[in-house]
Amino acid sequence: MKVTRRDLLVWSAGAAAGLVVTPVPWKILDDVSIWSQNWPWIPQPAKGPVEVKQSACTLCPNGCGLRVRMAGGCPVGLSGVNTNPVSRGALCPLGFGAHQLNWHPRRLRNVKHRGNISSWSEASAAFAKAAREGPIVIVDGHPGRSASSVLENFAEKWGGGYRVAMGPETRSLAPYELWSGVPATSLGYDLENTQTIVSFGAPLLDGWGIPGRFPRLWAERAASMNDPQLRIVQADPSLSRTAARAWQWLQVREGSESALAAGLVRALLEQNLVPAHGAIPLATISEAANETGLSADRIRELARTIVAKPPVLAVSPDFNPAVAALNVVLGAVGARGGIVRSSDRTKKYSSVAGAISNVRAVVIDSSVPWDFAAKSDAEVFRFAAWDGGSSKGDWLLPAPGFLEESTDISTPPAYPVETYAVAANLAKPTFEVQTAARFLANLDASAGTPETILHSRCEQLFRSRSGTLYGQTITPMTEIASTQELEKHLWDGAVWVGERCSAKLACELKEWPSASPSSRAGNWTQPWLAPVLPPLASKLYIESNLRGTPGRTV
Amino acid sequence: MSARYGMVIDLDRCIGCGSCMVACAAENNVPALQQATVRTGLTPIVVRTVSNGQEGAARRETFIPIMCMHCEHDTPCVKVCPQQAVEVDRATGIVMQMPQRCLGCRYCMTACPYHARYFNWWDPAWPAGMEKSLNPGIAVRMRGVVEKCNLCHARLHTAKEKAAAAAKREIDPTDYVPACVEACPTSAIHFGNLADANDPVAKESRSPEAFRLLARLGTEPKVYYKSKEAWVRDLAETNSAPRPEVKHG
Repeated sequence: MKVTRRDLLVWSAGAAAGLVVTPVPWKILDDVSIWSQNWPWIPQPAKGPVEVKQSACTLCPNGCGLRVRMAGGCPVGLSGVNTNPVSRGALCPLGFGAHQLNWHPRRLRNVKHRGNISSWSEASAAFAKAAREGPIVIVDGHPGRSASSVLENFAEKWGGGYRVAMGPETRSLAPYELWSGVPATSLGYDLENTQTIVSFGAPLLDGWGIPGRFPRLWAERAASMNDPQLRIVQADPSLSRTAARAWQWLQVREGSESALAAGLVRALLEQNLVPAHGAIPLATISEAANETGLSADRIRELARTIVAKPPVLAVSPDFNPAVAALNVVLGAVGARGGIVRSSDRTKKYSSVAGAISNVRAVVIDSSVPWDFAAKSDAEVFRFAAWDGGSSKGDWLLPAPGFLEESTDISTPPAYPVETYAVAANLAKPTFEVQTAARFLANLDASAGTPETILHSRCEQLFRSRSGTLYGQTITPMTEIASTQELEKHLWDGAVWVGERCSAKLACELKEWPSASPSSRAGNWTQPWLAPVLPPLASKLYIESNLRGTPGRTV
Repeated sequence: MSARYGMVIDLDRCIGCGSCMVACAAENNVPALQQATVRTGLTPIVVRTVSNGQEGAARRETFIPIMCMHCEHDTPCVKVCPQQAVEVDRATGIVMQMPQRCLGCRYCMTACPYHARYFNWWDPAWPAGMEKSLNPGIAVRMRGVVEKCNLCHARLHTAKEKAAAAAKREIDPTDYVPACVEACPTSAIHFGNLADANDPVAKESRSPEAFRLLARLGTEPKVYYKSKEAWVRDLAETNSAPRPEVKHG
């Protein structure tokens, strides 16, 4: 049979038309689509048995109870521990994605000296030389840990200084330290027993203090109640998250918090709502009204409102002596539902707020937040797990990442009772990392090691026989048989909570403090700066409109 | 007995922290891609901020978590899907999305009155090594298909396996809790079986303060909201989804 050009064209056209009505091309297209959706190089979850362990979060000093799902030796999911009395089962939004941080592209994997890759031996030699020439200053972000004791011991033995970068909650307690002599780190807010809180811009529901503490308390005692058991009066220039949920929102002018506190004291004294007090503010109610934008009558009414449901507590987001003085006038210092002593420790820490001058070297522990830059011309040894680009260190030294280090966690800032927990190293670092404490202990073993100090602290706790252990069960310390048993509970994720401190706290306010500049309210992104947020946090500020980008948020 | 899983979200308790969004993404292996935006990202639950429209001291705001409403009746996405990739599970009431069947036509996204569906534009990707942190109980999200909340269905499987291992026919309700419910620090999201009249969530859904978004459409969503504020309840019948407001700080 002769095949003509016309036959070929007819056959081709028929084949093309036939192909369209058969399922073959669509099936092939579908299969190619499915096949290409499952390329072999598309990441797949790790295989391996899944187990659940308990630990404590180390992203910030609060040490929230952590339930860690592990697969193939890696943390694959985090959630809160409901039995933890401190965090009460909650985590901050960053905590839920924290297990990704160890693989963050900005993870610091090499020792760096002024931007160039160096080695641990060179860093060690450089620090040994600097320490011999001295003096040195060591900066810590989470005081009270066993590792902190090593840093402190080293500084003491080598004639250096030990400074602490205090968080905003601790700084807000600093005025009471000045007036009572009790260190701010031994003070706390008794939020659980207060009935009215006057917040001068403190983001109580947006990351102030322990993420689960106040939101849980508010949810139980105030949320969606017409007459809440816990009244929040929020003074904020704009409708913040806390203001949106407060019992009353006072729209005040930016930076007028001190004036409002002074005006309230005047109104309280004028209406005999509190006992007469020696120190009174110079400003009148009218002057306070002018500065805050509220009317004088509104300030008087506010004074009556806040004392209607005692105990009353005033809270500032950061250092603000006027707000602290208002608490003194309200009788909230040393009283139930006010400012209380969390422990009878009297040891004070030097703050690192000012410039560090006349020193040879500064060591910055990885617990110090990213936005801290040492005001010093000394050689800076900055320990960090992530290279946030803002630490300005001569030496950048890779520190253990999230859950890569065994550490203990002492009382969270501004918590009213002492606590103690241990975070086990559940993840293994894949490159050489060192903590500042280990680095210094290698140079001088007499400074001690975190492990030995942790063990001795457990012995002390066991001998004290006070407090309660919150783990799988609630166990009074009197029922713990040995230090080893206590340590085992702590390593398994239990938290020790002490008794309420009975030591007295009294403040003497000789004169009304001068106004201090207002501070910006921080939230849980404060210790972090882009790009070292957990990648999933981008859901909050890139893939939704819930928050501004971190650079603008902090 | 078949269940009808649903939620009651108390908007007066929501503080807009976003923990539910991050916990959901971590649980379901949703990647955080640099190219993703508000429109193109994959956010099975997203918290919107809405206001009463006033300014100054009269302004009020609330936060509304929006996810798949798991419509029970005339489910719009089910009706339009040409691939039968969406169905309402008879045993649970969960609107299930089967990515292997989905051809990515996005009719369901157009049909959904709640804008609760997302097209997955890209292959999942993580920085090197980060795949080790993925949840082993969930597959990674496929490119080219539509995604949405499935009430953490994998957790229901785990609860069923646990019940089966204990020779029980019914799961323990405490074993099946979606990630967003577990993460909420103020317990604003309540989850339970709406078909069980004694379930606290079923009782709460009958509260005078409870409402559903666009209830007039008659799709019988199984996600209820609750608020004492009349202006918040009035939002439920506005024609568009709550419009996000860009907030900084």
